[in-house]
Amino acid sequence: MTLEHLPSAAPSLARLIQELNKLPGIGPKSAQRLAYYIIRLPDGEAQDLADAINAVKQSIIFCRECQNLTDANPCSVCANAQRNREQICVVEDPLDVLALERTHCYRGLYHVLHGVISPLNGIGPDQIKLKELFPRLSDGAVKEVVIATNPTLEGEATAMYISRHLAGSNVKVTHLARGLPVGGSLEYSDELTLSRAFQGRQEV
Amino acid sequence: MAPPRTYRAEALTLKTAPFGEADLLVTLFAREEGKLRAVAKGARRPTGKLVGHLEPLTFTRLSLNRGRNLDVVSQAQTLDNFTPLKSNLTALSKGLYVAELVDGFGSEASPNEPLLRLALDTLAALGRAPEDDLPLLYFQLHLLAVSGLLPELHCCVECRRPLEPGRHRYSAAGGGVFCPDCAAAPAVNGAPDGAGYSSGYGTGTGIGTRPLSLRALKVLRLLASRRRPADLPDLTLDEPLALELKAILTATVQYWLDREIRSNAFLNHLSRTGGGGAVSRSE
Repeated sequence: MTLEHLPSAAPSLARLIQELNKLPGIGPKSAQRLAYYIIRLPDGEAQDLADAINAVKQSIIFCRECQNLTDANPCSVCANAQRNREQICVVEDPLDVLALERTHCYRGLYHVLHGVISPLNGIGPDQIKLKELFPRLSDGAVKEVVIATNPTLEGEATAMYISRHLAGSNVKVTHLARGLPVGGSLEYSDELTLSRAFQGRQEV
Repeated sequence: MAPPRTYRAEALTLKTAPFGEADLLVTLFAREEGKLRAVAKGARRPTGKLVGHLEPLTFTRLSLNRGRNLDVVSQAQTLDNFTPLKSNLTALSKGLYVAELVDGFGSEASPNEPLLRLALDTLAALGRAPEDDLPLLYFQLHLLAVSGLLPELHCCVECRRPLEPGRHRYSAAGGGVFCPDCAAAPAVNGAPDGAGYSSGYGTGTGIGTRPLSLRALKVLRLLASRRRPADLPDLTLDEPLALELKAILTATVQYWLDREIRSNAFLNHLSRTGGGGAVSRSE
């Protein structure tokens, strides 16, 4: 959408609509609705939104250890002396760290790849933050790498690549269990999911 | 009469992409429909019933509802998951290369059963022998064959005489092999590089060519003569021969596709590094 497509809107409003339209999942109609919502916001709230966007752009950096997005370097997880430094959990995306932290069952460190190996999209190991992972394992302090990439073909390819790269080292490589989702249905599960769920069965 | 609103298809999933909040846009190559794109609603939710059946490189029986722009997948049942292929990084990267080429050479609303059969047979062969070079070379050559683009391997493409042992040259743009006499003829319009080929010396057609060893020519003829990858002989290619065949067939496929083959970069990365390289210890 360009400014020419909004001839009747004031230029500043048209610009806001155009910028909102660039956000993922926001179409032209949603952009217009959001823009008019912002206009109707009290002055303070609109300013808070603008300040929050500015602040996040100015202060957020990659953690030099785990590559997660942070405003302190190293991030709060990497700086926390209580975390288990023998385990590194490799995830695709910063949102995966939040999801795993909500479980309260993992106390190790993280490494965020910011993507996965996706040959069909031309994304190889050099296009994601894989090369930053291997130096973290070179001093022998890390005993286990837990691969928590998504159970997609690209996620599995990334897991296999890491596992192949670490073959011959003393680092134990594990990945999260694959199986049936809570609330899922056996009948509709595909064969691979079912067979992995069966392989990973546990004593009740 | 309007076509039925719902139809069934047997299809190989070539690629998927996120679509909307929780949907998946799936590119399929179907037995009777050719290449088609469809939406799997809610497939990206953890409890989505379709996503496991629609992973790339899965052969699936589907029910689809016709939509205004895109058809919608209503049911899916895996016929072959190619589990051995997906359990090996080398085989998987070759499988993705196969999927990209089927996507590139397949056309929408244009069924091509031999191409589907070729892809399925190749994926199965790759799962059985991930490190073997022959299945992928077979796929590349037969992909050209089922697309009507098989290079001429028995007669000189210029003078049409049967090829005798000698210093042949090969050209993708020229459509096959040049005999030593025609390859040595001076170029009419210069000898521009074609499809990454060196133009060491010209041909009468002015097309870039590259040397073709007799051994490579024999393997190409052998590959062309077999009807299925399972019929391939137990043949081990030494490295120079494998590299020559890969270079010839990859350049030919790329010449006809007329765009970069993205998955080739990762395939080359793996063959360069083996994907390995244990972490060095500072002990």
